[in-house]
Amino acid sequence: MAHATHHIIPRPLLLKVFLALVALTIITALTGQADLGAFNFMHVPLAIGIAVIKATLVVLFFMGLKYDRPINALAFIIGLLMVGVFLTFTLLDMLYRGDIGNLDAQPIRGPQIEQVEAPSGSP
Amino acid sequence: MAGASEAVPGQAEAHVHHPPYLQHHFVSAEQQFDAAKLGMWIFLATEILLFSGMFVAYAIYRVWHPEVFQAASKLLDWRLGGLNTLVLLASSYTVALAVHYAQLGDQKRLVRNLWLTVVLAGVFMVVKYFEYSEKFHHHIFPGGNYAYEGLQIPYVGQFFSIYFVMTGIHGLHVLVGMGILAWIAMRAQRGHFSPEYYTPVEISALYWHLVDIIWIFLFPLLYLIH
Repeated sequence: MAHATHHIIPRPLLLKVFLALVALTIITALTGQADLGAFNFMHVPLAIGIAVIKATLVVLFFMGLKYDRPINALAFIIGLLMVGVFLTFTLLDMLYRGDIGNLDAQPIRGPQIEQVEAPSGSP
Repeated sequence: MAGASEAVPGQAEAHVHHPPYLQHHFVSAEQQFDAAKLGMWIFLATEILLFSGMFVAYAIYRVWHPEVFQAASKLLDWRLGGLNTLVLLASSYTVALAVHYAQLGDQKRLVRNLWLTVVLAGVFMVVKYFEYSEKFHHHIFPGGNYAYEGLQIPYVGQFFSIYFVMTGIHGLHVLVGMGILAWIAMRAQRGHFSPEYYTPVEISALYWHLVDIIWIFLFPLLYLIH
């Protein structure tokens, strides 16, 4: 009774997942070494994409999240979302600091006050 | 116990067969299992957040100095990194099999797969040991201690700071995992687990898979920079 809801993942499926993971490792090792010519910019997206597929296989089948209670997936996905927020906003700050608005070393209000005061003082 | 069965008369029958592993603050073994597992998933989320700090540091330094990462990564042996990836994937497979056999109540195969996982984790650490000692032999140390004659470019020490910290903390997780899995294997040998109660096997397997997942990302990001 106690284990009625526990899904037992069949052995052939576990083996298939393992073999898929090995194949993806070989693919990532080969593409990581290869000169992709005009597509060299694809190295990083390709490496991360394959790693994400591999991690997804491990999470869904080895960790059994596919057959698990949704609450566990929720805890995991919230964790991943936080990593996304962390990475995205750090990179946004790093790459675009100063590009949006006048967030530079000068005081923000300085020039604006002059512009506002100039028309009222001129006539 | 008596109070609980009085409060829920309908479940009095369940209390007659009260299993020794069921702690009294849980209604049922099922609830105890679910609580343990949710706790583990939350812990795994915090583990991911721990590593995410290092992955973000990696991203920043790589965006700042891509050419340094490209040159420094060549000093790592991708064949050893790839071998370790396969070893960890195999260990993930064996620990998944261990859970499978725990669910079926096949104690012999459960114990065998747990020990196999520990051995594979050991192989990973041995390969890591050879990698580290080869680096140290060439005076490849993190940060300002980097003193390898073969590659002297600005900021190269930063790459190795990131390399040693990330693989070091990952390696620490592997060592902890070996300890936990060995303990679980010994408990399995003593017959502590059954299809009704295998929570510790399941929980430690989840931890072990996470250690595998971290390495799945570390391998291409550190060893395979073109």
